[in-house]
Amino acid sequence: MSSSADEVRSGVEFASAPYCLDADTAEAYRRANHGPRRRRPAGGIHDDNSAANKAGFVAPIAAGEQVLAVMAQLLVDRFGMGFLSGGRIEIAFVKPVLFGDTIVAHARIELERSSDTHLELAIRVENQRGENVLLGTAAVRTSTA
Amino acid sequence: MSDDDRLPMRAENLREGMSLGPIHYVVTAEQVGAFAGALRSANPLYGGGSGAALAPPTMRLNDYALLIAEHFKGGKGGVHAKHRCEFHQPMRVGQAVTTTGTITKTYRQRGKFYFELEYESRDAESGGLLVRQAITSVLLNEAGEMR
Repeated sequence: MSSSADEVRSGVEFASAPYCLDADTAEAYRRANHGPRRRRPAGGIHDDNSAANKAGFVAPIAAGEQVLAVMAQLLVDRFGMGFLSGGRIEIAFVKPVLFGDTIVAHARIELERSSDTHLELAIRVENQRGENVLLGTAAVRTSTA
Repeated sequence: MSDDDRLPMRAENLREGMSLGPIHYVVTAEQVGAFAGALRSANPLYGGGSGAALAPPTMRLNDYALLIAEHFKGGKGGVHAKHRCEFHQPMRVGQAVTTTGTITKTYRQRGKFYFELEYESRDAESGGLLVRQAITSVLLNEAGEMR
């Protein structure tokens, strides 16, 4: 874990670099995932206007997994193996991300919920309008105990 | 005559306790590189082209879709509502992994059909737990609506 003692005060916040989730990054993410044997024709909420509208969205939406990946990457960059080995994350997607949105992941240390072995964090991802699109909690291991 | 005996992906076919998988794969440097690239990450833990690389923690989050696709066909897809992950050990390039899942919960709330799928990935040789996670999703109906 790379944080200094000064950085683990309760309430300390840190954030990722802005990440523009446009068609190119969505395609790069799709190609990086091993797609399943197709169980339905192409044309869903992630790539078809009509399908997105029927599901209640104004336009095709980005995959929530990619938003979560941006959040998780912030925790890897900050805590390294403390997150990769013994960390956890629990989130809800509270607002859709549209292609072209720019998102920023945020984490805030919550010492009052932390233990001797894990540091607890409140996490969120917001879009360029300042709206939260993901909310949740995470924990990172601080010791081998 | 079709040899596809998968169930249609409909609410009535999703039952609590239904086991999905296993699926098997080997973690590849190509996928690690592509995934890190999609996130624009240059984190050295992912190897940067050298050996002994670790996989980004959510790189195999999509395994739930592979588990579902092994058992179900058709449907209009779903909307990802919630997710939780426990990272026990990172996946490593070259590691053989087995992932299994269970549909743990199905329910209707405010007219929407939800299902929860818990799944875990283990080292295929040692059986050591790597990642345990759960997705909660709203299943779209045959009209593609969230109800």
